[in-house]
Amino acid sequence: MATTAGNLPAPRKQRWWQKYRNQYILFAFVFVLPALINFAVFRYYPMFWAFRTSLWDYSLMRGFTEFVGIDHYVRAFTGDPRFWESMRATLYYVSGKVPLTIILALLLASFANQERRGMGVMRALIFVPVVTSFVVVAIVWGMVLNYNVGLMNAAIQSLGLPRIEFLTSPENVMPTIIGISLWKDVGYSVIIFVAGMRGISQEFYDAATVDGANVWQRFRYVTLPMLRRHLMFVSVISTLGAFQVFVPVYTLASQQRVAQVIVFYIYRLGFIFGEMGYASALSVILLVLLLLLSVVQIRILRSDDV
Amino acid sequence: MTSREDQKLSSISNAPTTADELVRQRAERARREHLRALTRRWTGNILTWILYVVIAVVFASPLIWVIGNSFRSSQTIWENVFPVTLLTFFPFDEFFFDNYIEALGLTPAAQAMGFGMARSLGISLASAITVVVLSLIFNTGAAYFFARLRVPRKNILLIYVITTMMIPQQVIIVPLFLVVNQLGLINTFWALVVPWYASPFIVFALIGFFAELPYELDEAAIVDGANLFQILTRVVVPNSIPGLITVSILEFQFIWNEFFWPLVAVSNKSLHPVQVAIANQFTDRDPQWGRVFAAMVLASAPVIILFLFTQRYFYRSVALSGVKG
Repeated sequence: MATTAGNLPAPRKQRWWQKYRNQYILFAFVFVLPALINFAVFRYYPMFWAFRTSLWDYSLMRGFTEFVGIDHYVRAFTGDPRFWESMRATLYYVSGKVPLTIILALLLASFANQERRGMGVMRALIFVPVVTSFVVVAIVWGMVLNYNVGLMNAAIQSLGLPRIEFLTSPENVMPTIIGISLWKDVGYSVIIFVAGMRGISQEFYDAATVDGANVWQRFRYVTLPMLRRHLMFVSVISTLGAFQVFVPVYTLASQQRVAQVIVFYIYRLGFIFGEMGYASALSVILLVLLLLLSVVQIRILRSDDV
Repeated sequence: MTSREDQKLSSISNAPTTADELVRQRAERARREHLRALTRRWTGNILTWILYVVIAVVFASPLIWVIGNSFRSSQTIWENVFPVTLLTFFPFDEFFFDNYIEALGLTPAAQAMGFGMARSLGISLASAITVVVLSLIFNTGAAYFFARLRVPRKNILLIYVITTMMIPQQVIIVPLFLVVNQLGLINTFWALVVPWYASPFIVFALIGFFAELPYELDEAAIVDGANLFQILTRVVVPNSIPGLITVSILEFQFIWNEFFWPLVAVSNKSLHPVQVAIANQFTDRDPQWGRVFAAMVLASAPVIILFLFTQRYFYRSVALSGVKG
């Protein structure tokens, strides 16, 4: 065995490598090229196209009609109260949804993390809304929360309380939509936290117990620090997702001005009113905002590693 | 108990003079300990069961309500909702299947009213399967390149792929529409498929799976005279089946549930996938609840059933994105 190894010296392999090197690399690129083209055409190019379109008046029929420079941006920042309304609605949604997701997911995960009979069923129940489409979830809840014939108001009335206008009153519509999205999305974070909690060695808890830590202290000083990466990931993902909320507003609250979030506003401008140029400008603004946000959050993630 | 502990015990509780009394005291202690442990366990159990019921009510009752009432006519749905009883959720007294037949568009009358879930389900299924197949081919190829091929400076390309993940999909939907429109694909079946044939997330996940395989396998295949393509199909793919199943399920679910893109990309009603079709039904001015319930069951049952049978893979795909991210 040793002698055959000696008969096959490294240089020969090197020679095979060099001889076929160019062919090898060409062949190798065949594997990766289709994916790279997809990303270029359907992900990067639209981004640049958005920049370009945002500087023009653009219509689907006639294409680029008139160069307007930064007029669309000026309009967004100075002459369009609807844009600011939509940004306010989006921020309201984000600031409600993200913290609630994290808190509720941590609570549910600390419970669903235990190994007990029936816990697998509970985890599955919590996760079913995640795999269901948001359209179905939104419509189901739209019907559950219907003022006249919905299940929720029937239950409330059965308890002898007055009915609530969940979706039809401007004060209630945003909290309702946040609640619905929470119900749909929380299972995803729960599974991430459960995975994280499984990775924490029991020894830490034993040590804390010996030191006299109670349940809350064990959670605060063992679980939370050990879940730092998972917490960061969940907050990044849910923040980016929350800024892009569209479906529940489209299906449940398209008539409610207070609920018209930025992506819905962009959709209406572009596809209902045909103002593709202005819609692109708003897309660029949101794009820059989200890119900055994710860069900041990745920075924080990185510094966490040290 | 050892004799030393006995002594300690006797020193704590004053004057256990006789052995008889000592035994009684120990029995008493043990009984109390046992009772306390029992109470603790039972409060734990009861708390757990209360939480079970809360979770089940919060997460399952809307779904059960929808499934149960999809077998009622719209009129009896409203009649049974108040007061809330078991009949609100389960249609013991009625079995009304017309909702499904109408939602699917199987009668001429329903078709005249514009219901064609059967067709929409077909479109959704066809586009999801096409994307899964294409994605298996192209994402696997790309991940194979990054995980196992020796190409200088391929890290630059990897950064290109990872940066793609940062582009928010909902935000670029307007320009994506314009690009796909330029390609002449808007309002065709291919608009639902072509933009998604490769995904940076799936490439990234597959790189993780492929990198776990020992490189000796490839070397053995090279010695046997296999070329790069044969290494991929005969060594890498057969050894990564669980990973490939995970990403396929993820991709299927993504395409099946996708709403925003098909909403803008196909305005032709006969090409609407199932999510767009039910959204249209619901936003009709006077929706027939029974029919909408049936439509929702049809639209979500495939993915939910898929999930119930392959839970492991779903959880893994989540943990994969979370822990390694």
